[in-house]
Amino acid sequence: MSLFWSISLLFDIALVAGLIALALHVVVTRDGRGAILAFIAFGLLLGIGWARLASVDVALTEAAIGGGLTGMLLLRAHAHLARHAAPPPPVAPEPRRWLVPAIACGLVTLALTAVVLAFPQPAPSLAHQAVASLETTGLGNPVTAVLLAYRAIDTLLEKIVLILALVGVWSLSRDAAWGGASQLQPAVVPEPLVFLARVLPPFGVLIAVYEVWVGADLPGGTFQAGTILAAMALLVMLAGLRPAPPTQARALRVMLAGGPALFVLVGFLGVAVAQGFLSYPEAIAKPLIVGIEAALTLSIAGTLALLVAGPPDRAPEP
Amino acid sequence: MAESLTLIALFVLLVGAAGLAIVLRSEIAIEKLMAVQLLGTGGGATLLLLGAATAQPALADVALLLVLLSAFSCAAFTLGEGEPNDGIAKPDEPS
Repeated sequence: MSLFWSISLLFDIALVAGLIALALHVVVTRDGRGAILAFIAFGLLLGIGWARLASVDVALTEAAIGGGLTGMLLLRAHAHLARHAAPPPPVAPEPRRWLVPAIACGLVTLALTAVVLAFPQPAPSLAHQAVASLETTGLGNPVTAVLLAYRAIDTLLEKIVLILALVGVWSLSRDAAWGGASQLQPAVVPEPLVFLARVLPPFGVLIAVYEVWVGADLPGGTFQAGTILAAMALLVMLAGLRPAPPTQARALRVMLAGGPALFVLVGFLGVAVAQGFLSYPEAIAKPLIVGIEAALTLSIAGTLALLVAGPPDRAPEP
Repeated sequence: MAESLTLIALFVLLVGAAGLAIVLRSEIAIEKLMAVQLLGTGGGATLLLLGAATAQPALADVALLLVLLSAFSCAAFTLGEGEPNDGIAKPDEPS
């Protein structure tokens, strides 16, 4: 057993060293696009880190958001800047420029170390209570139980914030393009991209459906599945196989609002038939939760895809 | 059994890190993209080995996601490619 633990420790040390080196590379590198690519790699590596901490749900989210959508968002912003903005004038090199940030970062690191070392032993935890009342929800995954049963109000507000963020992005569009679609397809679409956009989405959709279904009992869930679906939708739009949907389309807006709306509806239903807002009748708790998850997944997928696609820049067709 | 699996996972991680160090130092943007692919496959392999070593089958799901999304970032990379008078380097010439 001790041999296993020492190898595990060695693995963790190597992983942490790799993470720190990659993070430094992202900060230090001058080439913006290279830094973004290293950041995507960092997100994937961090996913392994979370998996090592036995937080598989977080690992899935980190891989999907950090390694997938954030990278695309940054690459899109970089391409947009390169297209529209003049390159920044070269900054005159100042020899002591790095000194103040380095000291400030060092102090923050020291303070964080002090905080981590001051953690109470054993750490206060609600994990036992969360697992103990798992039976009443009919679920097997305590993370999903926390997200959709114990702390459902937080999850509900989080989804509404996502919609608000999308409204914020849309409001950046020009008046003429309001209600139109975003232009995602690059001027020249490489052939391999079209091939990838035909081959990958079926697998992506299958994995997303699997994630939602398995999320009730094992690590997985709506947010990860929604992110995968969003990535697949973006891939199809990027390759020009399907145009981005006009943002005034009724079906699209129903899909975006559907998840949170169903969540609120079930929440108020709880006032009538159970103990209060967002409490589920115990007999049908699991079907209700899985139904909410399915609707939320579609909403999250649409919201994230349109957030990455950016404000509409083509006038709507009459 | 768990020891040897973790040891192999460590080996895959180290080989991946060595590859990453070489690829990220390259001047060519598309070679840097290979860093993401390297972590997609290498990280996936590492997670599968760890999942078998620690009896956590859910790690296979994380591995699945890594492979899927590293392929997706290839597609995201084409953003801003092939545009006239852009300020960014072409993939096949040094930046």
